[in-house]
Amino acid sequence: MVGAASSRYGKLAETAREAATKVALDAILDAGLEPRQVDHTFVANCFGLTEHQGHLGPLVNNGLGIPATPSMTIESACSSSSAALHEAFVHVAGGFADVALVVGAERLSHLDTMTATGYFAFGADYPFETRNGATFPSLYATLAGAYRDAYHASPEMFGAVAIKNHANAARNPKAHLQKEITLRTYLDSPLVAAPLRLYDCCPFSDGAAALVVAAREVVARPTREPLVVRASVRAGAVTALQDRPDLLGLPSSRLAGDKAFRQAKLERTDIDFLEVHDCFTIAEVLALEDLGFFPRGSAAREALEGTTARDGRLPVNPSGGLKAKGHPVAATGAGQVVEIFDQFNGRAPGREVPRAEVALAHNVGATGGSCSVHIFGRR
Amino acid sequence: MSSPPPVPHSIGEFVQGYEGARTLRAFRCPSCGKVAATWGLACSGCGHRPLEETTLGPRGRIVAGTIVAVAADEFVNDAPYAYVLVELEGGGQVSGWMPNVRSEAEIAPGTRVRFTSSYKPGLQFELDPEGGPDTPVASP
Repeated sequence: MVGAASSRYGKLAETAREAATKVALDAILDAGLEPRQVDHTFVANCFGLTEHQGHLGPLVNNGLGIPATPSMTIESACSSSSAALHEAFVHVAGGFADVALVVGAERLSHLDTMTATGYFAFGADYPFETRNGATFPSLYATLAGAYRDAYHASPEMFGAVAIKNHANAARNPKAHLQKEITLRTYLDSPLVAAPLRLYDCCPFSDGAAALVVAAREVVARPTREPLVVRASVRAGAVTALQDRPDLLGLPSSRLAGDKAFRQAKLERTDIDFLEVHDCFTIAEVLALEDLGFFPRGSAAREALEGTTARDGRLPVNPSGGLKAKGHPVAATGAGQVVEIFDQFNGRAPGREVPRAEVALAHNVGATGGSCSVHIFGRR
Repeated sequence: MSSPPPVPHSIGEFVQGYEGARTLRAFRCPSCGKVAATWGLACSGCGHRPLEETTLGPRGRIVAGTIVAVAADEFVNDAPYAYVLVELEGGGQVSGWMPNVRSEAEIAPGTRVRFTSSYKPGLQFELDPEGGPDTPVASP
């Protein structure tokens, strides 16, 4: 990976199409390349139809002046742009492209909370979950309640995840919620779906992020410190929570994580920091256990004890995560990798993870019907 | 030649049962025994096909749940309400909603519930006055 760029997350004036095209050009120029060198474009976008615009792939290419370049538009709920990254990696690693462009973009701020809540729930099983009253927060709240009951997790433990990620986002000038919060603020915030409070939940964000993947021999002298893709893995699982054998993890995270470490030939102890999918605080807790970094029932306590803080033993979400950096759905996975690229290139002042050599990105589609895990190292 | 489709073979046939609030149509896997009230052509547990038809409900017990305060448009006039996962008579799990429930204590795991007729298309439950939390759910 030789170039990366991201918009600010939050409320943007641009459409998803405009934001996608701008960050795509930024990422290509960041790599020291020109758009004409892109062999294939992979665009992720979930809610374009709410902007009366689908089929973003060729429109991004049109805006970049490369209308003849092939493209595809990918939807995999919140894991859309990590799915796009996986497809780009497969194309480059398989020799079908020398340079592949990955773009994720989303605009949500034109939707009111009720409407956005409805659209987010379309990533669940509509006739068997959503129509029965499920919202996206309610599904993760069901997981959070089961976790709390099984492991006696306290509100303070979930709150510690939120407080940590807000502290990191306060040092990220592109984050949606650049503010620290206290435990009191967390505990006083209203319930969205018990036991999840407002500050357990990520915001609806606009945003765009782009990555350039290139074959090693094509970019002999990269302009930036490249990320070597050590693992690129996707996994799936039965979508409806009621059809799963237990509620204490996401099966697709376990599958993708185990396979990624086998593919990378690395151990958990080799990872210096992680960007994991924390659409809700419980999601970060489950991710760290599903990926094998902490035993079952212990990750929430580790957050409270500071293990996952930026200066802790295992920094998690130094960007601020979905929780506070923001969650522009189809841009989120690519945005996680932009953070890793920026960390490796000294472009994350104030929130740098020192001496990082290997990092992991974990991106979940809805409640885990799909999941991506990527592991990156230095050359 | 492909094998004949299993019955029922449409999502619509599955959710028709919601309106009568009597029993639900579901699948039982003859290979691994998994029972699912979600639609499919093969077992989501082991991949076996075809599946056998079975019925579930109308009684069950809550496995997990939440109180939804911020609802989507289809339920906005019902919030707060409970969203619950329920293990039904017959062994399968479904999700459903319960109006006029405002605390997690009312939907503690093990609480007995039953289908009730609803003015909405989704599957609605109510507390089952005939069973306490410790009453086992009958299997067929």
